[in-house]
Amino acid sequence: MSKTKVQFTESQFIDGLRTGNSEVLSVLYKKYYNIVLKFIVNNSGTQEAAQDIYQETIIVLYENVQKPNFELNCQLQTYIYSIAKRLWLKQLKKNSKTFLFKEDGENDLVDVGSEISEHIDKEADLEKMNKSLIELGEPCATLIKDFYVQKLSMDEIAEKFGYTNADNAKNQKYKCLQRLKKYFFEILPVEQIERK
Amino acid sequence: MRPIDLFDNYLNKKLNVNEVIDFENQLRSDANFAKAFEQHKTLVEALNDNEKRNSFKNKLKAIHSQAFGNDAKIISIKEETTAKRYVKGFAYAASVAVIAVLSTVAVLSTGGYLLKQQSNQITDLMREMIDLKASSEAVSVAIVEGITKGNQKAVYAPANLEGSAFALNNKGYIITSSHMIKGADSVFVQNKSLERTLTEVVFINTKLDIAILKIVNSNATKAWDVPFSFNDKATDVGEKVYTLGYPRKDMVYGEGSLSSLSGYSNDTTMYQISIPVNPGNSGGPLLNDQGNVIGVIRGKITGAEATGFAIKSNEIFGIISGLANDSVKAELLNLPKKQTLKTLKRTEQIKRINPYVFNVLVYKID
Repeated sequence: MSKTKVQFTESQFIDGLRTGNSEVLSVLYKKYYNIVLKFIVNNSGTQEAAQDIYQETIIVLYENVQKPNFELNCQLQTYIYSIAKRLWLKQLKKNSKTFLFKEDGENDLVDVGSEISEHIDKEADLEKMNKSLIELGEPCATLIKDFYVQKLSMDEIAEKFGYTNADNAKNQKYKCLQRLKKYFFEILPVEQIERK
Repeated sequence: MRPIDLFDNYLNKKLNVNEVIDFENQLRSDANFAKAFEQHKTLVEALNDNEKRNSFKNKLKAIHSQAFGNDAKIISIKEETTAKRYVKGFAYAASVAVIAVLSTVAVLSTGGYLLKQQSNQITDLMREMIDLKASSEAVSVAIVEGITKGNQKAVYAPANLEGSAFALNNKGYIITSSHMIKGADSVFVQNKSLERTLTEVVFINTKLDIAILKIVNSNATKAWDVPFSFNDKATDVGEKVYTLGYPRKDMVYGEGSLSSLSGYSNDTTMYQISIPVNPGNSGGPLLNDQGNVIGVIRGKITGAEATGFAIKSNEIFGIISGLANDSVKAELLNLPKKQTLKTLKRTEQIKRINPYVFNVLVYKID
């Protein structure tokens, strides 16, 4: 809401996003929120919906700037607005509401179809992992994340979870991972598991 | 060595040069081995992607609430301490991790308790926090201090018990279950809109299992506009009902219908509901389709998963009306009258109700 003192150029935004610079992310987030908010609220959305769609938009942007061949061929604002619009349209369709779209004409649009469909695929994969971890339950989910994400050693894990030694912890991790595999690859897959 | 251990060692670069050569040879010559390895890699990548995504999402949420506030329209809390800001950063993630671990143990331990108890009785649905010995030695050091050196971390101690509560009126009064408050040293409430804040216990009725708390810091409740009203009229069996509560760190919604106008062993002060309630749901509101509060979640029958009980709201007000102290009574009975939720969809109702349902944190002295 308040004006930020820090100003970034568009390429600084892109570079900052790429490298995970928190300040850049924060400034960028604040800068474009109102455009999306206005659009959603004008098109039968609530403020909360706007927040959700905007955050998803930023995620799509973030995903795309990570690509080595990413190139922005329009203004960042146009890009963000186009993504938000597609995401919101998709959601409205999903809720199968009848709706009238108000084109405000103020904002240009670019084609972001491939970005969106890629994002949806990725989101489905992540959701599958989220669900698998929930199915897996505790302490397995935490143990698995501690080893594969936090990169804790077996000794640290043994101590944290109260196993008598690293070998016991390793056995436990093995069992947990087998179950996780079952959920992720066999029980939950709705779609193809192979990426590419 | 199991293939998985070998995969991990290879991915974590723990094999020596010869082992790496052997491993890569086997990948080339043994198709099944290669396939299993690919699958393993996919899983590990998915785990890491998932974690990255979740933390990025949390980051965005933190930026948003810092810049634009949470549900700013409904409730705005100005008070911002330095500790709060730190919590949003690193320590937020840390506390999530701690709570995740602790709450899991709690659920499991309560589960064990249920199995032992064969008799048909109501289980109180508080989440009992067990001191995890080794699990978070490092974290618990930070906890006691609040803010540790490097002034980065502010992590709160895990509560002994956790449950749910909801606002009674705009004056900062909150209803919860008395079985959680029993023997408490201090009681805090929190949710996404309300930074963890201290309450004082105003009133307890153990027979009905009701406690009323008041948020000490009146600034925190200045902007309150409780969207639901209380329904004291008779409710019909079969009516759709739902509840919101904190069986875990995030608020969880549960829906079902009103199964009976009496509770366990014909107790007429309670409703029976077909909502699966879990430890931590105790003290949460029971709402009807119009978004009116008709009761307070009390417990469930041991072993029966989809049967819950809720104390009728008119019973609660009966007790409050019988209070001797007139000024307290008047303040407690100053109830929201508006039925702002009536015409809203369930999802919209929940969004409005959200800021007024709390996670209760109960601390006891050992």
